[in-house]
Amino acid sequence: MSSASLDRGFRRSRSRPPAAKPAATGPRRNPLRYWPQYVAVSPFFLLFAVFGLFPLGFSAWLAFHRWDGISPVTFAGFDQFRFLAADATFRKAVVNTVIIWVMATVPMLVMSLGIASMLNAVRRFKTFYQVVLFLPSVTSVVAIAIFFKAIFNNQVGIVNQVLTGLGLPAVEWLSGYWTIKIVLAVLMTWQWVGYNAILYYAGLQAISSEVYEAAKLDGAGALRTFVSITVPLLRPVILFTVVISTIGGLQTFAEPQVLFGSNASINPNSGGPGQAGLTMVLYFYQQAFNNNNFGYGAAIAYAVFAVVAVFALINWRLTARSER
Amino acid sequence: MNLSRRHLLLSSGLAALGTGALAACSTSTSGGGTSGSTATALWYWNGGLSDKVVAASKTRFPDAGITPSVVGGDFKQKLQTTLTGGSFIPQITGVKGEDMPFFRSVADKFTDLNTLGAADIAAGQLAWKWAEAQTPDGRQLGFPIDIGPTAMFYRSDILAQAGLPTDPTEVAAATSTWDDFYAFGQELHGKVPASFPVPSLSAVFQIIVGQISQRFVSEDDTFVGDSDEMKSAWDTTVKAQALGINANAAQGLDAALASGVTAVDLGAAWHALDIKLAAPDTSGKWMVANNPVKPTNFGGSFLTIPSATKDKAGAFEIIKWVLGTDNQGEAFTDASIFPADPAAWELPALTGGDAFFGGQKTIDIFGPAGREVPEQYVAASDSAVSAAFYNELTNVEANGKDPAQAWTDAVAAARDIAQRQGVK
Repeated sequence: MSSASLDRGFRRSRSRPPAAKPAATGPRRNPLRYWPQYVAVSPFFLLFAVFGLFPLGFSAWLAFHRWDGISPVTFAGFDQFRFLAADATFRKAVVNTVIIWVMATVPMLVMSLGIASMLNAVRRFKTFYQVVLFLPSVTSVVAIAIFFKAIFNNQVGIVNQVLTGLGLPAVEWLSGYWTIKIVLAVLMTWQWVGYNAILYYAGLQAISSEVYEAAKLDGAGALRTFVSITVPLLRPVILFTVVISTIGGLQTFAEPQVLFGSNASINPNSGGPGQAGLTMVLYFYQQAFNNNNFGYGAAIAYAVFAVVAVFALINWRLTARSER
Repeated sequence: MNLSRRHLLLSSGLAALGTGALAACSTSTSGGGTSGSTATALWYWNGGLSDKVVAASKTRFPDAGITPSVVGGDFKQKLQTTLTGGSFIPQITGVKGEDMPFFRSVADKFTDLNTLGAADIAAGQLAWKWAEAQTPDGRQLGFPIDIGPTAMFYRSDILAQAGLPTDPTEVAAATSTWDDFYAFGQELHGKVPASFPVPSLSAVFQIIVGQISQRFVSEDDTFVGDSDEMKSAWDTTVKAQALGINANAAQGLDAALASGVTAVDLGAAWHALDIKLAAPDTSGKWMVANNPVKPTNFGGSFLTIPSATKDKAGAFEIIKWVLGTDNQGEAFTDASIFPADPAAWELPALTGGDAFFGGQKTIDIFGPAGREVPEQYVAASDSAVSAAFYNELTNVEANGKDPAQAWTDAVAAARDIAQRQGVK
């Protein structure tokens, strides 16, 4: 069946050039004439086909099957999606992910903007600050998570030592529904705030100083200048960071995985107490790779795709509306 | 059902690409199944075998071309992927105890060691351990490397401070049932409020589940996580929370061990190493006694011969040597791997005292415990199904969830997972 459809596709593509022929004699030769260019760009497309396109198609196919990773695959129809619709744990994971994403992204982008303004005002050691700000984003997330696990430790973590030193009660950071999310959000903020600040800083430098001078002449204060000039002119950069943070934040995985016992032989990758750190992608990983339930994992992966698509659509709508 | 044609095309295409890529990147680390040479690739994980013994095996079997690979990351995942891919399958590979139920469900991928004479060796060893790697039709897939008989570790100095007995026999006698253990723990926590007898609810539950007759999924693949004995195991576990003697240290076990918050810890023989690494300053203060009711087993791995291996007899000779009695003793000295072969327990390496445990001869506890471990069926879906119970225990201890509600939710969630896993 598949070879038949291949044949049809082949014939169709062959039949197209003659139809286009009257327009020009070139089209059929073009692909050949530019072969060095096609070869030059082919590595990306080959790698994408193997590591992007194929898994994409294979997991779509897998979502309608049962597979433990070794045994023959059996057809499951819509079973996996029926399970998914009834799965309270997956709903929990979606809610967790969105909460963590909001808690991490909103304060982070606000702080990034502030840091970028400060960086813009700095005169000395500018490169030093840029490097320092950029470093966390290229640091291994596993190392960061291990570090955060230590400083937020319920009993002996440095955060609790500081709190008790100040006469405040210690907090069981890695046990509570909200505290777990705070730790994850703080971790993600710490890692990406500098990266976004660098992006904003680049955007700030592109704003002509003439605009600021004009505002000054009109008597605008610092705050008014920031709200009426800096933010609107930075809008493309802000939208870019929001989209990137959305796609990244909704796929949070390594942070909760490392924080909450990925190596445990009992109940691995559960997302911590109350599954409060169980994100969508972590749940996908647990189902597919710990439980050998690859069909269900694939269904979850496509549900993650749907959620990210919805948020991307909302972003796009917001952009489109403000363009008008 | 069979593979569809499209899947076959896709996967063979991928396999071809993958093989090409691997061949290009790697400098031929393993012999592979197809080369037909005498190379013997041996896969294990860091600490899974004694590196010294493995190195010695190369000189012992010079013609076998043993090429050991210490595989990092998720070992099960890598072995599973390789077995599915069908190329570069190692001639000998380790399988972790907790992964054995899964690999037992795909028994065709492995060699029946009984065809190579494993039954004679098994006869002199622990029947329950060998049974873990046996299929219902009697095929023996794995040769045991080590075992994890459980016991109770305790801080003798803190027990003394609380005016409790510290001698292992007396401690075991005072905690022979879970009720006695809890009474003992209340006494301890009452006298030394900073210390607790239970590190986390899951530590208790894990042992009690090992003591009952059926786990979460029965041998005929039926969900039994709602049985009366499971309910009573649950009730016994959550009692520790009600009594206020649970340290709730699951998110910082090492720190709790080091600080003395955990005064009593329940765990397998290999857990001794965890304690030593987590709390080096408490050396000499710990001791070991039998845990309440009866010992159980956590983990303990196997060596297997994938069915793709050509020279199965040769591979089995290597396994027999690497896991021979003397080398199991050597592995204990070198890497704290607790021997699965009871004969190795008589070796000087094991019969000596352990300074960390105040000079106690811990084999006097773990040896008899290893012989008394009850045989128990563990389904391939066991760990997935059990997750629901552990999640709810965490809810009870970390978030104060009502234990009765938690039980209801755990059973419901476990039933869903079981259904997804294809359990009846």
